[in-house]
Amino acid sequence: MAYYVDRNVKMTWWERIYLPEILRGMYITSRHFFLNLFGFIPFFLGTSKRRKIFTVYYPEETVKYPAAYRGRPVLAINEQGRPNCVACGLCEAACPAYCIDIVPAENSGKQNEVERWPKEFTIDYAVCIFCGFCEEACPEEAIFMSDNCEISMLDRKDMKYNLQQLSVPIAQLKDRLEFTRKMYGKWNY
Amino acid sequence: MIVDLLITLVKILFILAITVGFFAPVLTWVERKQSAVMQDRIGANRADILGFTALGLFHAVADALKMFTKEDFIPQGANKVLHTLSPILALIPAIVTFSVVPFGGEYTLFGKKVNLVISDLNVGLLFVFAIASLSTYGYVIAGWSSNNNWSLLGSMRTSSQMISYEVTMGLTIIGVLMVYGTLKLTEIGAAQENFFHWGIFLQPLGFFMFLAASIAENKRIPFDNPEAESELVAGYFTEYSGLKFGMFFMAEFIEMVTIAALVTILFFGGWHFPFVSTAALLSVFEFLGATGANLVAMLFHVGVFFAKVAFFIWFQMTVRWTLPRFRYDQIMKLGWKILLPLSLANVVVTGLVLLAVS
Ligand code: SF4
Ligand code: SF4
Repeated sequence: MAYYVDRNVKMTWWERIYLPEILRGMYITSRHFFLNLFGFIPFFLGTSKRRKIFTVYYPEETVKYPAAYRGRPVLAINEQGRPNCVACGLCEAACPAYCIDIVPAENSGKQNEVERWPKEFTIDYAVCIFCGFCEEACPEEAIFMSDNCEISMLDRKDMKYNLQQLSVPIAQLKDRLEFTRKMYGKWNY
Repeated sequence: MIVDLLITLVKILFILAITVGFFAPVLTWVERKQSAVMQDRIGANRADILGFTALGLFHAVADALKMFTKEDFIPQGANKVLHTLSPILALIPAIVTFSVVPFGGEYTLFGKKVNLVISDLNVGLLFVFAIASLSTYGYVIAGWSSNNNWSLLGSMRTSSQMISYEVTMGLTIIGVLMVYGTLKLTEIGAAQENFFHWGIFLQPLGFFMFLAASIAENKRIPFDNPEAESELVAGYFTEYSGLKFGMFFMAEFIEMVTIAALVTILFFGGWHFPFVSTAALLSVFEFLGATGANLVAMLFHVGVFFAKVAFFIWFQMTVRWTLPRFRYDQIMKLGWKILLPLSLANVVVTGLVLLAVS
C-alpha cells in the first residue's frame, strides 16, 4: 500500500514569514513544559499530574512485549512433559547463524511410543541473531521465539543453553503459538 | 590602587564562578530536564549519591568525572598540536567575551565607585564581536586538524555559517548604536532605565534578527548544521573525547549565557526592573545609609539581570527543542537573502526615524 507524500505544499503568506509559526510551535512546547512542570511538583498549587508520563523505569519495571516480539528461541515442552521436537534438524539447517546443535535419539522400533527426540539440543545465544527462521522451519511447533531478551552473561560459554535450560512449558507460549499459527497459516506454507 | 585591583579580581572570580562554575554544569542538567519535561518524559534521574538523586542534578558531576577520566584520543594522521589547541581556541573567546558585559550599574560603596563590569571598554560592543568571531578559528582548526572528512565538512559549514551571520549581527547592532549613541555596554544598559526606552521597543525587528543571528553563531538547533548528528556524526568535534570534547561542550553553554546576557543588555533593559529606577530604589532604602542602600540596589540589580539571563537561556532551550534543523541552503538563504536585507532596511528606517525625531 504505497502512499504518496506531497512535498510541494503550498504555504500561505502567513506561514511563509515563518516567525508566527515559530511562535506557535513554541507555544505548544511551552504548554507541555508548564503543564508538566506543575504536574511534577504536585504539592505546588495542589495540582495533580495532568499528562501521562510514558517513561518506564526499565530494570525495575518492564512492559509486556507483543506476541510478535522475537526474544530468545526456546523449546516448547508439551503436556506429557516431553519436548515437541522430533530432532528433524530442519531448524538446524534453516539457521543462518549456525548456532543450533542437535544430537538426536530414537527408540529401537517399539510401536506407539515416541520415535525420535533430541538427546541434546544446544543454542548458542552469543551467535543467534534472533531471526526466527528456526521457528518458521519447525514442522512440529516445537521451537518458539519467547519474549525474553535479557540474556547477558559475563562468560561467553554460559551463553550456550542446553536442553534443560531451553525448555519452557507450552502453556507459557500460548500467545506466540497463536501468533505463529496465524502468521504462517496466512502465508500458506 | 590595590583596592581597585582587588575589586577587579573579585569581579573576575565572580564571572568565572557564575559561567564556568555554575551555568556550564547546571545548563547540562537544565537541557536534559527541560527537554524531558517538554516531551512528557522524566529525564535523567539515575545518578545518585547514597540513593539520593537530587532530581538528576548529580548527572553534571558524573559527566565531569567521566570527562576527566576518559581517554584523550588523538586520531592517526591528526595534527597533534592544532588538535590540542583548537578546543582552547574555542573556549577562551566564549569566556573572554564576558569581560565587557556589565551585570549591574554603578554603585558607591564605602565612598568608592564600583562599576559592575570587569573592564568598561569604550568599544565594548566591538570587542564582543571581535572576540566572538575569533572563536571561528577554534572550530575551523578543530575540523581540519582531526583528519576526518566529517569533521572537515562540519568546520567548513561552521565557517560559512558564522561568517554569513556575523554580517547580520553586526548590522542589527548598528541600529542599537544609532538609538543609544554609544558603544559602551554600560552606557547602553544605563540608557534603558526608563521601561519604554528598552531596546525591544526601539528596535523590535533588530531584536528578532539579533536573536536568530546569535543562535546561528552559537551553532545550536535550528542552526546546528556544523554538528548535525544525522548528517555529519558530530561535525567538527567528531574526533574529540574526554576533556577536549568537554571544552567544546562548555564553550557552547557559556556562549549561550553570553548571548542571553547580550540580549538582556541590548534589548531588555539590562539590570533595570521595569518602572523601578535606581534613584527610587536608593530613596526607599535610604534608612540603611548610603552604602547599605547602594548594596541593596546592587544585589537587586544583579538579581534582576541574572533572572533575565535565565529567562533567555530558557527561551533558547525552548527554541532548540521546538524547531527542526534547517537545510544548509535554507540557512544560507535565510542569512543572505532575508536577514541581511532586513537588517539593512532596519538601519535605514532607524536613521530616518532618528532624523525625523531630532
Ligand atoms: S533465531 Fe535464527 S539465528 Fe537464532 S537459532 Fe533461530 S534460526 Fe538460528
Ligand atoms: S525443526 Fe522443530 S522438530 Fe525439527 S529439530 Fe528443530 S525444533 Fe526439533
